[in-house]
Amino acid sequence: MTTTVLDPTAEQRPATRERSQRPESLSGLTVGLLDISKPRGDVFLDRVEEALCALGARVTRYAKPTFTKPAPVDLRHEIATQCDAVIEALAD
Amino acid sequence: MHDIDDLERRGVPGVYVASDTFTDAAALQAAALGLDVAGVFVAHPIQDRTDDEMAGLADEAIDALVAALTAS
Amino acid sequence: MLGGTTRPSDEVVALIPPNLVEGTVEKVAVNAVMAGCRPEYLPVVLAALEAICTDEFNMHGVLATTMSVGPILVVNGPIAAAIGMNSGINVLGHGNRANSSIGRAVQLVLRNLGGGAPGGIDRATLGHMGKQGICFAEDEAGSPWNSLAEERGFDRSQSTVTAFCGEGPHLVVDQLSRSPESLTRSLAASLRSAVSPRLVLGMDGMLVLSPEHMARYRDAGWDRARFLAELTEYLMFDTDEIIAGADGIEEGLPPGLAGHRLPKFRPGGLLVVHAGGPAGLFSAIIGGWISGPGGSDPVTREITP
Repeated sequence: MTTTVLDPTAEQRPATRERSQRPESLSGLTVGLLDISKPRGDVFLDRVEEALCALGARVTRYAKPTFTKPAPVDLRHEIATQCDAVIEALAD
Repeated sequence: MHDIDDLERRGVPGVYVASDTFTDAAALQAAALGLDVAGVFVAHPIQDRTDDEMAGLADEAIDALVAALTAS
Repeated sequence: MLGGTTRPSDEVVALIPPNLVEGTVEKVAVNAVMAGCRPEYLPVVLAALEAICTDEFNMHGVLATTMSVGPILVVNGPIAAAIGMNSGINVLGHGNRANSSIGRAVQLVLRNLGGGAPGGIDRATLGHMGKQGICFAEDEAGSPWNSLAEERGFDRSQSTVTAFCGEGPHLVVDQLSRSPESLTRSLAASLRSAVSPRLVLGMDGMLVLSPEHMARYRDAGWDRARFLAELTEYLMFDTDEIIAGADGIEEGLPPGLAGHRLPKFRPGGLLVVHAGGPAGLFSAIIGGWISGPGGSDPVTREITP
């Protein structure tokens, strides 16, 4: 008599990927600031924007409709086509 | 983190900011996604902070944010 | 277990968050066995997963939030009696295999298959006992009102499961009200504190009305619409009383909302279910989570064989 044990899990491991290539500096590049729309995150990003501008970067601001869900695909597409790098804040 | 993972797939370097109570959750989520998504952690809590305190957290994080987005 | 459904074992029922894993009928069935389900419960488990794995219910957000909420599952229609579900004594508690194991199976699928482990992606500060898995049936036969499912657009002959994102139940004691007016005011007084007595409109709620409380409305000839209309009146807040800082409490509405009258719940944001044992002048409140597109909407799905 043989016993078959079934696995309740996904039985899969994600393929490991590398981070995308980084630029040497942010000077002259467009950095997107994505606000997840949790309270206080905008204040944090205001200061980050000041600091990035002081480093010579251009800053474009975006906001998710809600922090409880991933950003809509249209917003992700917009950021990807308009920005050279992105900072998302602030999850707590 | 799913947003940054998606943007990285599109070739855009990204970094997320979270409060430091989420360090372990972020590591688990990154492992599930298969990408060591760049993250910078600031001191928890956030919701009861004053504007000055929030600016201070940003000042402390900015070097790490720039480092996470650049090769140098 | 797979004999409990006509659906093929390799059919993908839903993408299970947080890892968006394909939830096949077979994988769900494996977890249902672990939960202690009988095969005839499987269609309810499958429909419940279809309900919570929608953009409207937002199960990923429900898992990730630090608020202590989870899916509360309510079954309506003929399947409830057919599989022996409890809608009576101890309805929100233990002791019935179907009630106990269906919700448990859904939770195991989220954890084992979706990867939403407590302490991992599930960040609930406190959690609640219902996150072991909670599923119960509405007492339709004993109710003078239309059912929750009918209220949500389904036919009485259809079997459905409604998923509501909620906290653990909170008892409301009212043993003295003889009139529907008094009982409605009393229930409203408790509902005003759902989630927080300082917050309005952002969260939905569920009221589980017990048979002895329902008798007050039956005897007075109040239907669901009348009850909800009267209750809504008693759930209006003068915002000045709950503005941040009022009464020395810093939690509250933003100062810009002073001088308004606002309802506790958005229209349709309070789900009322009839269930519980025949004796006891108690009902239960289940507070919700962030409501609407920015959080979670209740979702009802038909249960098919």
